[in-house]
Amino acid sequence: MIPSPTSPKQNKPVLLFDNECGVCRRIAAWVKKSAQLKSEEPSLIVRPIGDDPEALRALNPALDIWEAYATIHLVMPDGSMKRGGEAVAEVLRKLPPTRWLARSFSISIFGFRPFQALLNVGYFILADVRPLFGCESCGTPSLWVRSIKWLINLPKLVFGRQPRPSVTPHFTAISKAAHPK
Amino acid sequence: MFEETPQASQSSSLAGSSSGRVRMLTSALFDSLVLQGKGPIAVEFMSYGCAHCRAIEPILQRVAEMVKGKEKIFQVNVAVEPGLAESFEIQGTPTFVMFLNGQEAGRAEGAPPNVSSVLTAVTQPFE
Repeated sequence: MIPSPTSPKQNKPVLLFDNECGVCRRIAAWVKKSAQLKSEEPSLIVRPIGDDPEALRALNPALDIWEAYATIHLVMPDGSMKRGGEAVAEVLRKLPPTRWLARSFSISIFGFRPFQALLNVGYFILADVRPLFGCESCGTPSLWVRSIKWLINLPKLVFGRQPRPSVTPHFTAISKAAHPK
Repeated sequence: MFEETPQASQSSSLAGSSSGRVRMLTSALFDSLVLQGKGPIAVEFMSYGCAHCRAIEPILQRVAEMVKGKEKIFQVNVAVEPGLAESFEIQGTPTFVMFLNGQEAGRAEGAPPNVSSVLTAVTQPFE
């Protein structure tokens, strides 16, 4: 069982990540490493979402465990939450190597933040293409992702390689990596 | 067929908490509530990190409301209870295992996330 985030009062932002998704695990590992690059004290806390809905609600009463797995969440020290592209921007602001880049997300032109908007789109695309990178827990890929996957697999189908056996739709195989005994 | 037993009704309140009508079970309660339970019981083996389980969750809550009084529906988180998942040879999530008087009566893997499919999955073995 994955330890759950249990400390309701943190003096650093808490980044919650999906430990069942390989892409998310790799990104979380990079964030964790980057957060501690220039000092011994990390600038943010990186934790798996875990399996305890009550522990998440202790961080923020509005934090729903299903929602946490669906979209990246960053719980701020004051208890507020940032989600999706806004959470990514805040994480980049907290990391020493990306602080310079993150300034661009605050640039506002007549109330519109173009770089933040780009980041929001980028996050949306990354969240959608995770199944292409072997995230079995991420569900059925959306139609445009399935089209890309089909194009990638086309040469294999044309040149006679046996396609992989199909799995039951709407079904996620239990990952031994995500649930070590 | 779908008779609510006082025992099942009483014991469901002892189960661990979950959102809505479907209670989360731990291995400590599985024996008493499922294997020694009376009447039809469906158990969804799930995981919070599974997108298919997320899609099916609100539908399962609705189905639980529809079969209320006729059938009990529980959930087991395979990440918390890998031993239970292994003993029931659960290959993935969501998997519904249906029990009648403690005996496995059927199972359904990866039911499509719509009310009719989930309702059929959890009631068909008892018809």
